[in-house]
Amino acid sequence: MKRTLFSMLGVTLLTSGCSASFPPPTQKLADAESAQRSARELGADKKTAAQLNLKLADEEVEAAKAQMKAGDNKRAEYILLRAKADAELALSLAREHDAKTEAAKAVESSTSKQNAKTNGAGQ
Amino acid sequence: MINLKNVRTGLVLAAILTTFGCAATIPPNELVTARSNYTRASTGPAAQLAPSDLSTAKKTLDQAEAAFKEDGDTPEMRDMAYAAARNAEIAESRARTMQATQLKDQTNASQRANEVNQAQTTSAELVKTKGELATQAQALATEKERREEAERRAAQAAADLAKFASVKQDPVRGMVITLSGGVLFETAKWQLLPTAQTKLNDVADALTKQDKDSTMVVEGHTDSQGKDAMNQELSQKRAEAVRAYLVSRGIAADRITATGFGPGRPIADNASPEGRANNRRVEIVVKPKP
Repeated sequence: MKRTLFSMLGVTLLTSGCSASFPPPTQKLADAESAQRSARELGADKKTAAQLNLKLADEEVEAAKAQMKAGDNKRAEYILLRAKADAELALSLAREHDAKTEAAKAVESSTSKQNAKTNGAGQ
Repeated sequence: MINLKNVRTGLVLAAILTTFGCAATIPPNELVTARSNYTRASTGPAAQLAPSDLSTAKKTLDQAEAAFKEDGDTPEMRDMAYAAARNAEIAESRARTMQATQLKDQTNASQRANEVNQAQTTSAELVKTKGELATQAQALATEKERREEAERRAAQAAADLAKFASVKQDPVRGMVITLSGGVLFETAKWQLLPTAQTKLNDVADALTKQDKDSTMVVEGHTDSQGKDAMNQELSQKRAEAVRAYLVSRGIAADRITATGFGPGRPIADNASPEGRANNRRVEIVVKPKP
């Protein structure tokens, strides 16, 4: 009986020691959430090319929080690695969408002015 | 003698090790995708345009590869590989963004250059047109001045001539100065009388005040008495005599010609003495520059 109690105490201490040795990844969570916010500010949630990655980031952040709540900080940290990458990709794709739209506008404007000039010269 | 139990145990262990060994060497989808994404990104525009992002992707991929080598297929390794794959995509996206931005900047710069060029061309054309207009305006002013001077001289000459000769302005022929034949010549002669020379001196002075570009024709006319051939010759010689005298008084020879018309262009009735006197005449026709 005494031996059993010592064994249980040992397992408990070992478990507590592991959890305590891996701190909550609060900075990584903040980084991932910051990337999410930036992506949303650039309209990633409304741009087809970026929507999927932002959604994945949202789900991964929630999954990481659940793991932290459950005490598995290590697992949470690695899930946040995915979340941050997805959020940053959503941000980059939103920027790409904007840059391509601006470039298309510039080309269209230039072509339009060129055509107007050509037509005007013929009159 | 070989112990069959030991052999069987050895085979089972070998099978277990082989199975675990193979499992450890087969990379998971996340790692395969990460390798593929990185290879594609590193051989595309990202290599030039987004080297920093590509370096991040490489670093993450290296970590995943090291973890796979060290621990095999673990959730953490898969997370690292997943992040590496996304980082490679980020590098590619950044490169495409830069390309789009460059296209926009180049297009705008080209458009601005075109507009500046167009403005310069328009400005140059405007300056040229202004110059041409100024030249034309100057030419018009000069021409107007010349015409006004010519008209002033003509008016002055006409006023001077009106004092001693009949002067009429004919819309077709120009200014016509009529001198009586009786004043200039004896009957049937073409030598100028001394009194005629005095009169012609005044005519010559007035004509020299005329526009330098005008031309003159001295026309000789007779009445109808006598033979036409004789009258024709007489009128021609009288016209030439008047022309020669005017040239001697300073009228440029290339500005004045002489023509005899005989009795062909009467201005009065030849039946009466007065009419015949009027028909015997010399007309100096001054034609302004066209």
